[in-house]
Amino acid sequence: MPATKDTGPAKRGRPPAFKPPRPVKSAGQKAAAAPKRASAAASRPASAAKKAAPSASKRAPMTTLISSESEAEDDLSDANADEEMEDISEDDDRATSTEATRDPIPANLLIRLLYEGFEDQNTQIQKGAMELVGHYMNIFVREAIARARFERRGAGKGGISDGFLQVEDLEKLAPQLVLDF
Amino acid sequence: MADADKEERLKSALWYSIGQFVDDECVKQNLNATPQFIGALTELVYRQISNTSRDLETFSKHAGRRIINEDDVMLLSRRNEGLETVLKQVLDEMKAKEGRPAVPEKKVRGRPSGASAGKGKGKAKQ
Repeated sequence: MPATKDTGPAKRGRPPAFKPPRPVKSAGQKAAAAPKRASAAASRPASAAKKAAPSASKRAPMTTLISSESEAEDDLSDANADEEMEDISEDDDRATSTEATRDPIPANLLIRLLYEGFEDQNTQIQKGAMELVGHYMNIFVREAIARARFERRGAGKGGISDGFLQVEDLEKLAPQLVLDF
Repeated sequence: MADADKEERLKSALWYSIGQFVDDECVKQNLNATPQFIGALTELVYRQISNTSRDLETFSKHAGRRIINEDDVMLLSRRNEGLETVLKQVLDEMKAKEGRPAVPEKKVRGRPSGASAGKGKGKAKQ
């Protein structure tokens, strides 16, 4: 508990950034991008590093829970996810067979997030409708990545291109994407 | 504080699963994504979900229901024909799996019963 209290005010200071889960994700997985973050981290006092550790350990159970859920639902979603895949990954054929294996957002998490958004406590959602919303968000996320890749390709022709999807790619595509969905 | 904390935790969970997904996709498509990209995408998806849930709630209220059904979800795709086609296909498949006949245009399959039950409750109170 004290860990989250500490991180709260620290975050208040900066713009609506997406700070919180970074320690969990980044430490293990993104070694390549380490230099950028290292400089960002260096600007913070050493105590910030200490704070990150407890919050990471605190989140660990939550994340493991989710991963197990998403694995469980992989089997369920395989059949349905098949044909929308073809629409989105036009130019990468090896992706089509394996892409259906995972949903970007586990069903339980999506339900929870939807219920958070309801203003009326009594609002409920049917199971079939829920499944459909899952597909909708699935398409949304895939579309975002596909468009980001497209943006990156276009940007790469001008100068340096390292195939890293950047925030600026997302910035360019976000308005149209949100209009389309 | 409790609210903010809850939101943070939900976002963290979303961040984690989006991150996993993006990493998977990147491996498949021979790409890379910066952590900042994943964070921004998480934020975008989070906002999209809360907008979606508002929309769905409004749609079902407009239809006089308290329970969101498939028709409400189909309304989400009203501005995007391609999306509508895909969702309709998924919906038909879901129905076929449940052994119900796929009704292409208007779905008149007794869901009003749930809605009328909701209404009935409301009326009974008055």
